[in-house]
Amino acid sequence: MKKHYVLLILLVSLFLGVFSQNIMAQNIIKEAVVKIEGEVLKPLSLSLSDFAKMKHVEASMKDRDGKAQQYSGVAIFDLLQQAGVTVGKELKGENLTKYLLVRCSDGYEVVFSLAELDPSFTNRVVILADAKDGKPLADGIGPFRLVVPDENKPARSAHEVTHLIIRFAKD
Amino acid sequence: MQIGSHYKKLTLLSILVIAITLIAFTGKNSLYTDPYKLEYPDYFGNRISIPENNPTTKQGVYLGRMLFYETKLSSSKTISCASCHQQKLAFTDGKTFSSGINDMPTKRNSMSLANLLWVRNFFWDGRAKGLEAQALIPLNDPHEMGAYMEKAIIDLQKTKVYPVLFRDAFGTPEITADRITKAISQFERTLISANSNYDKYLRGEYNPTEQESNGMELFMNSAEPSKNIRGASCAQCHGTPKMYMELFHNNGLDSIPKDKGREELTGMPNDRGRFRVVTLRNIALTAPYMHDGRFKNLEEVMDHYNEHIKPSKSLSVVLQNRPNEMGGKSLGLTAKEKANIISFMKMLTDSTFINNPAFSNPHLSQK
Repeated sequence: MKKHYVLLILLVSLFLGVFSQNIMAQNIIKEAVVKIEGEVLKPLSLSLSDFAKMKHVEASMKDRDGKAQQYSGVAIFDLLQQAGVTVGKELKGENLTKYLLVRCSDGYEVVFSLAELDPSFTNRVVILADAKDGKPLADGIGPFRLVVPDENKPARSAHEVTHLIIRFAKD
Repeated sequence: MQIGSHYKKLTLLSILVIAITLIAFTGKNSLYTDPYKLEYPDYFGNRISIPENNPTTKQGVYLGRMLFYETKLSSSKTISCASCHQQKLAFTDGKTFSSGINDMPTKRNSMSLANLLWVRNFFWDGRAKGLEAQALIPLNDPHEMGAYMEKAIIDLQKTKVYPVLFRDAFGTPEITADRITKAISQFERTLISANSNYDKYLRGEYNPTEQESNGMELFMNSAEPSKNIRGASCAQCHGTPKMYMELFHNNGLDSIPKDKGREELTGMPNDRGRFRVVTLRNIALTAPYMHDGRFKNLEEVMDHYNEHIKPSKSLSVVLQNRPNEMGGKSLGLTAKEKANIISFMKMLTDSTFINNPAFSNPHLSQK
């Protein structure tokens, strides 16, 4: 009898083990990341926790109603530097024909030329924001959004950013 | 004199023989390299997708058209691409869900095939990148066409007509799954709809009625009640002359969607209930509407966007807070405004497209 009990307990625990693993697997929600790829030396995939360790700056933009909104995030220039994009001293010659394609989870896309994002060309700091008023960004906006100050339309301040892709303008 | 005329005849004959040989020779070559000119208006732009390894040729397009209408590609020998994509309905089938082999219903509503040359991600959830990848999926689906590809290749190889058509399109008579999907894709790239009344209006050849004009304005504008601008924000997603943008949105059909849409593909909760923004070209012909065909007509569609948007975490931002009245909770269009927008949408019907003989069943004309 004892042997049977041991066997039964073993079987039940094995079953529960496998079952709970399945449940766990189903409950794991994929973490949102932003990927930096294309003409980069070091492709990056950054989560909110990676972002938290990076230097943050503030940026403000007007929303659809014209009210100024304050955001906090990482300067796109810093992200590009980390990924080994030809910014700063290297942004000359053919590198001036490179552009940044921003892609969002709903398929929305906008572009910037690299010179629009480089402090040796402009004082405007475009950021990839992860917080507004000290709080994470709302559903449908975050976890990462672009904040482009001083633009009359907010259309390039894209929501739910998932990819920053560097490419050459080829033709 | 007689000798002279003999020489003349002989010379003429030999020239003729050489000419025929040359024509036959170059003709064979030109069959393989005869490019198909895709014609479309400049306002569609040139962000088109044609893979380098599958240029569009006249022979490839013709073969693709034959295959598009070929029931031998299904295990029951009754279903072709055209069963669910009928030209007269702008390449849809008028059903809530399509029927595959043995009348098995598909999971989602059949999509219209128009202006696919510009589309980058296919199916309601965008799971196929490019037409070649798309075409393979229904062919290999056990419920749609019966996963019959390998056997269909053997069947087609045995026919008189197909090995010749494959040789003309691809250089050798060999039939492969890759060549089948390539040819079908070439044909599908030619399905360009650009001759509706709206196109005629864009070309300055058509004067819209008062209802159509008002509907167009509402369609294109977003509401700004403080400035007395009325609008339905349709163009936020269905803007540009192509009448769609390559976006995936949750359009508020359900708070808890039965079909999770793009989330099934990406595993991301913000993709819940997100589906492709479809083109509205020929929309009056492609009922019923939405991924699950839940709306029978355009009136029901307008009622949905105007009054029945269901909130959820992944609801498109574009469909939130766009009231026409100060402090309004919904879009707030009047019955007349909704009817006018439908009048505008009917301007997108292209009778040239649905009657174009180049898109019709080639097997019928052969019989």
